[in-house]
Amino acid sequence: MRFLGFLLRRIVGIAAVMIGVSVITFAISHVIPADPAVAALGDHATDEQIAAFRAEYKLDRPLVEQYVTYANGILHGDLGRSIRTRRAVLDDLADSFPATLELSFTALLVSMLVGIPAGVWSAIYRGRMPDFVVRLLALAGGSIPIFWLGLIVIGLGYYQLGWFPGGGRIDTFVPPPPTRTGLYVVDSLIAGDLDALGSSLLHLVLPALTLGYFSTAVITRMTRSSMLEVLGQDYMRTARAKGLRERVIVLRHALRNALIPTVTIIGLTFGSLLSGAVLTETIFSWPGLGRYATASAVSLDFPAVLGVTLLAAIVYPLANLVVDVVYYWLDPRIQHG
Amino acid sequence: MVRRSPILREPLNIIAIALIAAFAVCALLAPVLAPYDPLAQTLSARLEPPSAAHWLGTDSLGRDIASRLIYGARISLVIGVVVVALAGIFGTFVGLVAGYAGGLADEALMRLTEVFLAFPPLILAMAIAGALGPSLTNAIIAIAAVTWAVYARLARGQLLSLRRREYVEAARSIGVSPARILARHLLPNAIAPLLIQASFDMGAAIIAAAGLSFIGFGAQPPTPEWGVMISEGRNFISTQPWLSLFPGLAILFAVGSFNVLGDGLRDVLDPRLRRAN
Amino acid sequence: MPYRRSPILFVVALLIAAACTQPPPSGATSTPPSTGGAASTLVYYADVSDLISLDPAVAYEFSGVLLVHNAYETLVKFEGADLANIKPSLATSWEPKDAGTTWDITFKLKNGVKFASGNPLTADDVVYSLQRVIKLNKSPAFLFTDIAGLKAENIKATDPITVVVSMPKTASPQGFLSILTFTVGGIVDSKEVKAHETAGDSGSAWLLDHSAGSGPYNIDHWTKNSEVLLKANANYGGTKPALSGVLVKHVPEPTNQQFALEKGDADVARNLSPQQITALQGKTGIATTSGNSLLLVYIGMNATFKPLDNVNVREALRTAIDYDGIIKDLLKGNAKKVQGIVPVGLSGANETAPFQADVAKAKALLTTAGQTAITLELLVPTGQAPGGTSWSDLASKLQADWAKIGVTVSIKQTAQADLLTTYRAQKGQLVMILWGPDFPDPDANVGPFTDFAAKSIAFRNAWDDKTIATKGKEAALITDITKRTAAYKEITDYVLHNGPYAVLYQPTELFGLRSNVKGFAWNPMGWLDFASITK
Repeated sequence: MRFLGFLLRRIVGIAAVMIGVSVITFAISHVIPADPAVAALGDHATDEQIAAFRAEYKLDRPLVEQYVTYANGILHGDLGRSIRTRRAVLDDLADSFPATLELSFTALLVSMLVGIPAGVWSAIYRGRMPDFVVRLLALAGGSIPIFWLGLIVIGLGYYQLGWFPGGGRIDTFVPPPPTRTGLYVVDSLIAGDLDALGSSLLHLVLPALTLGYFSTAVITRMTRSSMLEVLGQDYMRTARAKGLRERVIVLRHALRNALIPTVTIIGLTFGSLLSGAVLTETIFSWPGLGRYATASAVSLDFPAVLGVTLLAAIVYPLANLVVDVVYYWLDPRIQHG
Repeated sequence: MVRRSPILREPLNIIAIALIAAFAVCALLAPVLAPYDPLAQTLSARLEPPSAAHWLGTDSLGRDIASRLIYGARISLVIGVVVVALAGIFGTFVGLVAGYAGGLADEALMRLTEVFLAFPPLILAMAIAGALGPSLTNAIIAIAAVTWAVYARLARGQLLSLRRREYVEAARSIGVSPARILARHLLPNAIAPLLIQASFDMGAAIIAAAGLSFIGFGAQPPTPEWGVMISEGRNFISTQPWLSLFPGLAILFAVGSFNVLGDGLRDVLDPRLRRAN
Repeated sequence: MPYRRSPILFVVALLIAAACTQPPPSGATSTPPSTGGAASTLVYYADVSDLISLDPAVAYEFSGVLLVHNAYETLVKFEGADLANIKPSLATSWEPKDAGTTWDITFKLKNGVKFASGNPLTADDVVYSLQRVIKLNKSPAFLFTDIAGLKAENIKATDPITVVVSMPKTASPQGFLSILTFTVGGIVDSKEVKAHETAGDSGSAWLLDHSAGSGPYNIDHWTKNSEVLLKANANYGGTKPALSGVLVKHVPEPTNQQFALEKGDADVARNLSPQQITALQGKTGIATTSGNSLLLVYIGMNATFKPLDNVNVREALRTAIDYDGIIKDLLKGNAKKVQGIVPVGLSGANETAPFQADVAKAKALLTTAGQTAITLELLVPTGQAPGGTSWSDLASKLQADWAKIGVTVSIKQTAQADLLTTYRAQKGQLVMILWGPDFPDPDANVGPFTDFAAKSIAFRNAWDDKTIATKGKEAALITDITKRTAAYKEITDYVLHNGPYAVLYQPTELFGLRSNVKGFAWNPMGWLDFASITK
C-alpha cells in the first residue's frame, strides 16, 4: 500500500512537471514573430498554399484551443506532425532517440569508468603530481566548449591520424543490425553480427569521448571530494587500526560511501549529456535527437521542438522512477518521504 | 611570513584571478588595446598565419584575429555579467518570495523551478532563441531563462535555513536588532552559495552563448563573438586551424578562470560546503 | 542518502525506458539494407535535410528533385546541362496544335518501355501520373494547375501510346513542355502505385520512400536523416548505368564532407565553400568541378516607399554597387555577373550587364531625383548566401558602396522565415534575397518579376507596372523561338533600368570530387544524371 502511495506521488509529480514543460514550450513556440507556414513552404508558395497549410496544421485556431488539441493528442500517443518533415513527430523521435541514447549511454559509461578511478587516484595522491594533473584535466573538462573539442577530436582522430571514422553510426558499407532496441551495439550483439558490432563501437569512440569529457570532469571532482571527506573520518581510522591493508580499506569502505554523492549526480549529468549531444551530433553527423532538435528549431518546426523537449524532459525523471521502484522492491524497509 | 588570504594560497587561484583581470581589461579597454578594427576587412591579407603584423593571423576576410579576440572578450564578459545578473536577480527574487510566502505560493513557484530545471539547457535555449530570432540579445535572454531556476531554489533554501539558525535566536535573545542580525550575520552567509553559483554560471553562460552562435542562433557574423569566430573557422580546420583554435582557447581560459574562482569562493565563503582541498 | 543507488541499475533503467518507448520497428529499418559495395557505388555526401518525399508529385526541394530525377522518366527531357533544347524521352513526338479555345498537345509514346516492376509503360500510366499531381495538390502542383492551366479531365489517353493534353490558350505550350522535363512530370507505374494506395492518397505514403518508375535507378531505401540508396534498375530500357548504386548520405557539415572526400570515404562533396575548394586544388586524388545554377541573388526595392518610388533613385542604387568587387573578392569568382532577371542558361537570358560602381553617375542621378541624403533599411537573412559568402558580409559590402553616394543603409538581419513574412507583406524597404525559377523557362522568372497580379516578386516590391506585366504574359505565349527571345530581350532591358531590382550575381555551384569520378554534369535545375557517372 505504501508502495502504491509512493509510486502515485512520484507519477503525479512527473506528470505535473511534464504539463509545465509542455505549456512553457508551447508558449515559446507560439511567440514567434515569423510565420511557420512561410518557413515550411518558402518564398515560392502562393497565398492559397500558405492558407491551406495553416488550416492543415491548425495554425489559425486560438492558442488555447491549439494547446488543448495538442494535449489531447499526447494522451492518445499523437505528438502531432512535424512541419518540416511532414511525418508524425512520434516517428521522427522514434527514429532519432535511440542514436542519442546510445551515444549518451556510452559517454556516461566512459565518464564513470574514467572519472571514478581518476577521482580516487587523485584523492589518494592529494597534493602531489597525479592530483594536480587530474585536477587540471578536470578543470579543462568543465571549461571547454564541446563543439570546439569535437572539431579538434575529429580533426586529429579522423583527418590527421585516420584511426577513427569521421562521423555517422556505422560504416557506409556495413549494414546496420536488425532493429531491436535501436542501439547498434546492443542489436549487433543480439544478432551476433561482429562486423556491425565492431563498426558501431569504432564510430562511438570519438563522439562519446567528446560528449563525455564534461561529465567525466564532474564525476572526477565529485568522487575526489567525497573520497577526501571519507578518507579523514573516524571509522576510517578504526578500519586502519584493525590492521587491514590500506588498499583494501580504500577500496572497500571509502569508495562505497564516496560513491553515494557521485551516483546522485549521475542523473544530473545525464541531463547535461542531452544538451551536449546537440552540438556533438552536429559535428559527428550523428543522426540523433540533438541534430533533430537543431533542425527543428531552425525551421520553426514547433510540433517537433515540443516533441523533443517533452521527450528530453521526461527521460531523467522516468529513469529515476524506475530505479527507485527497483530499490523499493529490493529493500521494503526503505522509507520514502 | 606575510599572511596571505586563504584564497591566494593556491597558485591556480592567482592565475585565475590574473586571467579574469586580463579579460576585464581587454573588455574595458578594447578600443585602446586592439591593434586593428575587428570588422575591417583587408581582402589582400586573407587567411594569414600568425606573423609580426598580425600576432594571431587573419581570417577569411583579412580581419585581424587578435583584435577580434579582444573585442570578443568584451562581448563574452557582457554576456556573462548580464546573464548572471538577470538570472540571479530574478531567480533570487522568486526564491525569496517563495520562501517568505510559504504554502501554496511556495509550492507553485517551486514546481515552476522544477519545470525549468527539467529542460536540458541547450534545447530550451535553442527553442527560445529560435522563436525570438537569432541575435545575441535573444541568446542572452534564452540562457538567462535556463539559468534562473537554480538561484530561486538556492535563495529559498538559504532563507528557510537561516530562519532556523540558532544564533539568530541567540542574537535576538541578547537584544541585537533584527536589522543588525540581517546585515552582519545572515546576508553574508546567505549570499555565499549564490555568489559561488554566479561564478560558475559566468563561465557556463559564455560557453552556452558560444554554442548558440555556433549553430546559428546567437550572435551573427560579423560580430567578433568567440563562438561566431569558431564557427567561421570550422571549414578551415585542416588548412588554417588557428582560426578556430584561438577563440576556443580564449573560451577555455576565460571559463576555466571563472570555474577556479568559483572553487576558491566555495572554499573560503562556505565552510559547510568546503571540500577538503 | 538512506540507500545506495547503483549506477549500473540506472543505466539498465534507461535501457528499459528506451525499449519501452520504441514503437514497433517499421519495415524499412528492420531489414538490414544492402549496398552494392564500395567500388560500384557512388558515395555522395550532401546536406539533404530538405528531403521530404520521393513521390514525384510531391518532391519540390533540391534533394528530392535530385533523387526523383534518377528514378523516373518524363515525356520530354533536357540532356546533360542543356536547358534550351527539348529532347524526346518517353514521348517520341509532341505536337502543340491550335484547337480553337485550347492548345492540344499530342504525345506519342515510345514503344516497349518497361517500369522497374516489369509492367509495360502505357498511355494510362501517363494519364494517371499527370492526374495524380493535380489531385494531390502538393507543392509542385501549381506548375500544372496555375502555370499550365491544366485540369485533370483535360488529360486523355486516346490509345495505348497516345496522350492528348489540352491547355487553355492563356498558357504557354513551350512553358508546359519545360515543366514536363521537371520531376513533377515523372511517370509512375500506375498498377504498382494503385496496389499500394491507402485511404485515397494515390499511393503517396508508399511513394514517399519507394519508387515505381522507369528510370535508370530505383529507390532501395531511405533511412530518415541518414541516407538514401539508389540501386540500378534491371528493367531500364536505356544504356545501363556504370554504377550499380548511388548512396546519398546526409552529412550537413562542410568540414566533414571535406575530410571524407580527402580520406576517400566520399566520392562527391556537395556543399563545400569556395575556400575549401581552393584548399583542395592540387591535392592528389581530388578534383573540383563547378556547375551552373539558375539562382539570382538580388535586392528588392519597395517601389511605393519614398524615395524608392523615384526611378532615378533606384537606378542610382544600382549604379553605385561594386558588382565586380563582390564577385571577385567576396565570392572568389564563384559567380556570373548577371544583372537581368533571366539567368544565364535559360533562353531569353539577357547578358547585358551595364552596371558597375560609378559613384559620379550615381550621385548625378540622385541630384536629378532631388535627393541627396537618403536613409534606408536593408533586410538581410542569416547564414550563408549562395556562392560562398555570408549574407552579412554581402550586406556590409553594399552598405559601404551605398555610403559613398550618400545613402545610409542600416542592416537588419533576421531569420529567413521572418524576412519572408515581412517581404510577402510588402513591408520591406530594401530586401536582400535570392530567387530560383520553378521550371526551366524564362517565364518562370519574368512572370514573378513583372506581374503584380501574380502576387510574387513584383507584388512584394509593390511594383505595379501593367504594361510590362502584359508584355511578359504575351511573351510567354509566343511559340516562335526567335520572336520569343526578342520579346524577352525587350522586357529584360526595360526591367534592368526601370524595375525595383538590383540583381547582384548568379552563383555557381561547386563540387569536390574524387579524381576517378567522371561524367559528372550538373544540370542547373538541380539534378545529376547518375547513370552517366563512372568511377
